[in-house]
Amino acid sequence: MRWASVVGIGLLAALVAIILLRPAPPATAADRAEALAGGLRCPDCAGLSVADSHTASAVEIRRQIDELLAGGASDAEVREHFTDRYGEWVLLSPSAPAWWVLPFVVVIGGAAALAAWLVRRRTGTSPVASVSAEERRLLHDEAEALDA
Amino acid sequence: MRYLRWLLIPAVVIPLGWLLFTGFGRDPTELTSPLIGQPAPEWRLRNLDGDLVASVDLVGEPYVVNFWASWCIPACVDEHPVLADAYENAGVTVVGMTYQDTVIDAQVFLARYGDAGYEQLFDEHGWVAIDFGVTGPPETYFVDADGIVRAKQFGPLTPELMEEHLATIGVSP
Repeated sequence: MRWASVVGIGLLAALVAIILLRPAPPATAADRAEALAGGLRCPDCAGLSVADSHTASAVEIRRQIDELLAGGASDAEVREHFTDRYGEWVLLSPSAPAWWVLPFVVVIGGAAALAAWLVRRRTGTSPVASVSAEERRLLHDEAEALDA
Repeated sequence: MRYLRWLLIPAVVIPLGWLLFTGFGRDPTELTSPLIGQPAPEWRLRNLDGDLVASVDLVGEPYVVNFWASWCIPACVDEHPVLADAYENAGVTVVGMTYQDTVIDAQVFLARYGDAGYEQLFDEHGWVAIDFGVTGPPETYFVDADGIVRAKQFGPLTPELMEEHLATIGVSP
């Protein structure tokens, strides 16, 4: 059973490595502009990205993205151009992952602590562990005597 | 080891309680602007008569920038007299910016609901609205004599809100 869990952990680690080390996203200006527009909230429509909207603001924001990229701005600089004006609200996904990661960390940490506590309780206070070899032999003899 | 378990309870309960307390104390629908405390965006636009007007002309005096639209009813209609009153009686410079509108529709709106005579600028492509981070009219920004944005009003102004915001740029009615 132990080798199975080692293989399982190995596979999981490989999967994580593949996800983390996957090839960089395509870097043409049009692709970058499309990706950036997809990550910005359209200011004057409900729940749509700038890429999915045809309002005057969305059209103008797309034009500004193209202009900024043509001027040599990085993706982060383009996003900053709009957060400086609208605030973090304009980003469809938060730029700082710390807060949304917190609940997962708490749940995983709590589950690990609970598992550790359960394991410790089982091994630490189990009556089986406190039975000596002599007692075990006596119990065995008694059980056999009862069976007979 | 046993006393550590008792320490664990306040170590979990206190931060959790603090998070819930501050979380519930905040209004999630309340919007703020990153522009507050920052220099106001600069602009140079034509007014509804076609004359060029620039923000540099306003350096050294507090002013109010109001984004509105002829289709923004009833909110823009409701706040219209409040802006006119601030311009006429408090003597503050007011600049109207049309938002996703046409010159004709804006002129019809002013003819119908009154034109106090302050500048009405035509932000044709929405450049200035984006620079100010406008999400929908009416929105109003209060800029002090140093050119710093001091307050932003989302939604229609009332006389009380106008007085409150004007105080941030040193204007009393």
